[in-house]
Amino acid sequence: MTEPQTVGEMLARKGISRRALLRYAAWVTSIMALPSSMTRAMAQGIADTKRMSVIWLSCQECTACTESLTRSYSPTIDDLIFDFISLDYHEALQAAAGHQAEEARLKAMEDNKDNYVVIVDGSIPLGNMGYSTVAGHANADVLRETAEHALAVVAVGSCATWGGLPKADPNPTGAVSVSQIVRNTPIINISGCPPIPEAMTGTLAHVLAFGQIPELDHLGRPRAFFGNSIHDRCYRRPFYDKGLFAKSFDDEGARKGWCLYELGCKGPVTYNACATLKWNGGASWPVQTGHGCLGCSEPDFWDRGSFYKPLPASTEPLATPLAAGAVAGVAAGALASRAAKTRREILGAMSKPKDAADTTDKT
Amino acid sequence: MELLDFARGPALTIAFAIFAIGVAWRLSSLLFTPRPHRRAEAREGTPSDAKAFVRGVFSRFIPHKTYRDVVFANHLNAYVFHIGLFIVVFLYRPHILFIEGFTGLSWPALPNTLVYGVGLVTVVSLGVALARRMTNPVQKILTTFDDYFSWALTVLPVLTGLLVVNGIGARYETLLALHILSVCALLIWLPFGKLMHTFLFVLSRGVTSVRLSRRGATF
Amino acid sequence: MEIHTDHHAPPPLTPKTDPVPPYDKQGDMTDEERVDAAFKGFVKDFGQDVAIHMEACIHCGACAHACHFYQTTEDPQYTPIRKLEPFRKAYQREVGPFAPLMRMLGIDSRPSVEELQEWQHLIYDSCTLCGRCTTICPMGIDIADLVKSARHGMYDAGLVPDRLSKITRNAEAKGSQFGTPEEFIETANAIAAAFNVDIPINKEKADILLTTAPGELEGHHKAFADAGKILNKLGYNWTMSSEAFEATNFGYLSGNRELQKRLTTALIDKAVEIGAHTVLLPECGHAYGAARWEWNLWYEKDVPVKVLHMTEFLDQEVGAGRIKLKPVGNTATFHDPCQIVRRGGLTQAPRRLLKALGIDLIEMKDHGDFGYCCGGGGGALANVRAAPLRHKVFDLKRKQIEDTGAERFITSCGQCRITFERGCQETGWDHPPESLMELVADNMID
Ligand code: HEM
Ligand code: HEM
Ligand code: SF4
Ligand code: SF4
Ligand code: SF4
Repeated sequence: MTEPQTVGEMLARKGISRRALLRYAAWVTSIMALPSSMTRAMAQGIADTKRMSVIWLSCQECTACTESLTRSYSPTIDDLIFDFISLDYHEALQAAAGHQAEEARLKAMEDNKDNYVVIVDGSIPLGNMGYSTVAGHANADVLRETAEHALAVVAVGSCATWGGLPKADPNPTGAVSVSQIVRNTPIINISGCPPIPEAMTGTLAHVLAFGQIPELDHLGRPRAFFGNSIHDRCYRRPFYDKGLFAKSFDDEGARKGWCLYELGCKGPVTYNACATLKWNGGASWPVQTGHGCLGCSEPDFWDRGSFYKPLPASTEPLATPLAAGAVAGVAAGALASRAAKTRREILGAMSKPKDAADTTDKT
Repeated sequence: MELLDFARGPALTIAFAIFAIGVAWRLSSLLFTPRPHRRAEAREGTPSDAKAFVRGVFSRFIPHKTYRDVVFANHLNAYVFHIGLFIVVFLYRPHILFIEGFTGLSWPALPNTLVYGVGLVTVVSLGVALARRMTNPVQKILTTFDDYFSWALTVLPVLTGLLVVNGIGARYETLLALHILSVCALLIWLPFGKLMHTFLFVLSRGVTSVRLSRRGATF
Repeated sequence: MEIHTDHHAPPPLTPKTDPVPPYDKQGDMTDEERVDAAFKGFVKDFGQDVAIHMEACIHCGACAHACHFYQTTEDPQYTPIRKLEPFRKAYQREVGPFAPLMRMLGIDSRPSVEELQEWQHLIYDSCTLCGRCTTICPMGIDIADLVKSARHGMYDAGLVPDRLSKITRNAEAKGSQFGTPEEFIETANAIAAAFNVDIPINKEKADILLTTAPGELEGHHKAFADAGKILNKLGYNWTMSSEAFEATNFGYLSGNRELQKRLTTALIDKAVEIGAHTVLLPECGHAYGAARWEWNLWYEKDVPVKVLHMTEFLDQEVGAGRIKLKPVGNTATFHDPCQIVRRGGLTQAPRRLLKALGIDLIEMKDHGDFGYCCGGGGGALANVRAAPLRHKVFDLKRKQIEDTGAERFITSCGQCRITFERGCQETGWDHPPESLMELVADNMID
C-alpha cells in the first residue's frame, strides 16, 4: 500500500467524508472571519496539500500550550490536526528521544526544505545558553538552525511570542521571544498564556490550505483571532457603559455579573478571542467565571502590576513626584521672588525720582 | 503597548513632577513677593482681611447683575465647559480609579455613557469659546499665542478621551497612550500659561477683595 | 476778584486748544532714556498685588464691557487691561516668572518710545481710574489701580499729557496747584467776606484741619464757604492752613510720586503739628483716594490723625444728631463719584444724607458701586486731549440722568461737578449738578 500523497486521500482512506471536511473548513473560515465563499477553497486546499511537515520546538515552557492544543474541542480537530500534519518532532509528544529524535528533526528539515513549519513554545534564554538545551544544543542554536529553511515559524504562547513569564522582571535567564532570534523567516505569533487552541489550529489550517500566512496585526498575530479587544466583545460591556462595577468578588455587583473593570480587568487593552470563542469547547471564559481578564495575550502583561489593580491606576507611585515637585517648587519660588526683589530694588534705585517711596500695593 | 507604557510610566511621572514644581513655584514666588507697605487703616466695621479674602474668592463666581446682560452668554459658555471638564475629569470611573491609584481616595461616578455625552458638550462649548475669541474684536485684540495654545491643550484630552472610548482612528491602547500624553502636555503647560488661572483666581480675587473691603467698598 | 455766590456758576475752563498733539513729552531725554526710565519706573511698582494681577488675566475681554470709554466708542483699543500693555511687558521682562529666561534668551520686549507715546493716550486720556472694570473682571484684577501704578513710569519717562504736567509743576513750585499760601489767604478771606462766614486760617491749635480744592477756590465759592458754615454751626475747634489747604493731589493723578508724597505729608504733618485729630477733606474724589487710602505709603508708623471725606463727616454728624435738617422734599438722582463710592466705600453715606434731607432718591440705571464715571476723573478733566472721549461719556451719563426724570441732580465731588458743568456748557444741557454738602448747609435747622 502506497503512502497517501495528499491530505484528501489520507482522509478518504480513514473514512472521513468530503462533507465532514467541508464542515470543518466552514468552521475554520467562520472563526477566522473569512468570507464563507472561501469554505470550498479551503476544503479543496486542505484536500490537495501534501501532509505538512511540522517541527515543534519547546524552549523554556511549561507545556500548557501543548496541553491547550491537545484539548482542542472543535469538530474532531484533535484527530484532524494531527492527520493534516506530520508532526516530525515534538519533545513532549513523540516517543523517540535523544539522538534518535534529533535525527528525525534533521531528516524532516532535509526532506522538506523550505516547506516545513516550525512551531515554537517557550522563550529562549540568552543569559546562559545552558539554561535550556536539548541533546546538548542550546535552544537558540536549534531554533536558528531549524528556522532557516522553514516556510514559517509559528510562535505559540506568550513565552514564545513575547518572552513570557521567564522574561518577567528581573529576567534571570535573559529570556527573549522567537522574533528576537529568527530573522529571515516569516513569524506568526499566537499569543496567550496559553493561546486559545482554535487560534492555533485555525492558523495552521489556513497555512495548510492556502500555503500562505493569514493577515497579521502589528504584533504579528492573526487578525482573525486578535483583531478585537476582549472589552470590545465582552458580554459585560453594557454594565461598563452604565457605570455598574463589581467592587469585590463577592458583592452584589459581582453576583449580578457587573463589569470587572474595578477589580483589575485588563479587557480594554487585551486582544484575543476569548470573548467570542471561549474556552473548553465554548464552555466558558475567564470573565464569565467572574474574574477579570489578565491580559495574558499582551506583551509584558506579567510586569504591569497586580492583576487586581484597576487598569487606569498608574503603575508609578505618582504621589511622589507630586509631593517632591511641590517642595522643589516652593523652594524655587522663594529663590525666584528673592531674585525678583533684588532686581526690583536695583532697577528701582536707578529710577527717578530717587527719594520717592515706591507705591506698590497700596491698600 | 510600548507607547502606552511610556505614557503611563515616565511621561505621567515627569508631567506630574513638572506640574507640581510649576504650580508651587509660581504660587510661592507670588506669596513670597513682599508687600512693601503697611495698609491704610481699615474703615471701622469692615470684615477682617481673611474674611474679605474668602468672600471675594466666592463672590466673583457670579457677575453682578449690572453686567449680567453683557457677559451672560460668555459666562454661561465658560461655565458649561468648566463644569464639563470637572465632570469628565472627576466623575468618570476610570479617572477616579486613576486618582485612587495614587491617593487612595474614591468617590461615586456618573455612568460612562453620560460622561461621554458631557465630553461632547464640553468640546462643543470649547469650540464656541474659540470661535468667540477669533471673532470678538475685544478678545481678538487681547489674544496671544498662549490663549490658543492653552485652548488646544485643554480640548485635546477631551477629544482623545472620546476617541479612546469610541475606538475611532486607531487601536484602544494607541489612542489611550495619546490621551495620556495629551493630559501630560496639559499638566506640563498648565503652570506656565494662562491655565494657571486655575489657581491664580484665588489670589487675584482675594487681594482685590481685601483692598476694597478694607475701604468698605463692594468687591 | 469776582466771587460767585451763585453756586451754579461754572469755574474757569480749560481753553479748547486745537490742534491737539497726539501725545506730549516733557524734558529733554533721548528716546532711549525715556524707555529706560519708564521701565525702571514700572518695575518699582511690582509688589505682590501687582504681580498677582499681572499674571492672572485670562483675556476674556469682560472688562471692556464695564469701561465707559469702550462702551461709548466700541473701540477695542480701550479695553481696560490692554491699557497696561507696556506695564505688563516690563513686568514680564524684569521680574515676572519668566523674566530670567527672557533676559537670558535676549528677548527684548521693551516697547518703543512710539508705543509708549501711543499708550499715553490709553493710560491718561482714556482711563479715569474709576475702577468700574475692577468690578466686572472674573479674576478680580484691579485694573484701575494698575493704571494708576503704570502712570508712575510714564511720569518718570516724561510722557504725561502737557496740561497734567503743567498743573503738576505748578503744584511742585507753589505747594498747591491753586497758588501760594498768600494767594490762598487772599482768596479765602474774600470768599469768607462775600458769604459772611468766619473762616479761621492758621490757628495754632485746632481739632479739625479743613482742607479744600482749587475748584472751590476758583469757582465753587459757595462750597468753600459752606464747609466753614457747617463747622462753625457745629462749634468745632477747626482751622485751615495756608501751608496745608490743598487736598487735591496731582501727584497721585499724574504719576509723580514725589509730589504725591509731598502733598499728602503736608496735610498729615500739619494736622500733627496743630494737634488736630481729623483732616477733613472737601467734596473731592481723588483727594480721598490719595489722602485717606494712600497716606500710609509715606509713613513708617501710624499717625494719630483720621482722614475724613466731607460726605462721611456729614453723615456722622447727621447720624449723631448734631446736624438737624429740614426736608427738601424733591425728587433727585445722585451721581456716585467713583473715588468716594466704588473706590472709597462711601456708598451709603450720601444716600443716608439724601434721606435725612427728605429727598426722594431716584437711582440711575447704573448707580452705587456700579455707577458710571462722570468721564472727567483721574486727571482726564485737566487733559485737553481727552475732551472728545469725555463728551461721549457725558452723553451716556446725561441719558441715564434724564431717564430718572428726577427734579434735582446731586453729587458729592467737586471734580465731577466741574466735569458736568463743562459738559452742560459744551452741549447746552441745562442740568448741572448740585453739591450735596451745599444742600446740607442750606437746610440745617438752627
Ligand atoms: C470625554 C472625555 C474623556 C474620556 C471619554 C476619557 C476616557 C478615558 C479612559 C477610557 C481612560 C482609561 C483608562 C484605562 O483604561 O486605563 C482615561 C484615562 C485617563 N484620562 Fe481620560 N478621558 C476624557 C477626558 C480626560 C481629561 C479632560 C483629562 C484630564 C485633563 C483626562 C485624564 C486622564 C488620565 C490622567 C487618565 C489616566 C491614565 C491611565 O490610564 O493611566 N481624561 N480617560
Ligand atoms: C476652579 C478653577 C477655575 C476657575 C475659577 C476658572 C475660571 C475661568 C474664567 C472666569 C474664565 C473666563 C471665562 C469667560 O471668558 O467668560 C476661564 C476661561 C478658561 N478656562 Fe478656566 N477656570 C478654572 C479652571 C480651569 C481649568 C482646570 C482649565 C483647563 C484645564 C481651564 C481652562 C480654561 C480655558 C481654556 C479658558 C479660556 C477659554 C477662552 O478661550 O476664552 N480653566 N476660566
Ligand atoms: S469585564 Fe473587563 S472586558 Fe468585560 S466590560 Fe468590564 S472591563 Fe471590559
Ligand atoms: S478704571 Fe474706569 S476708565 Fe479706567 S479702564 Fe477701568 S473702567 Fe475704564
Ligand atoms: S476682565 Fe479681567 S481677566 Fe478678563 S480680560 Fe479684563 S482684566 Fe483680563
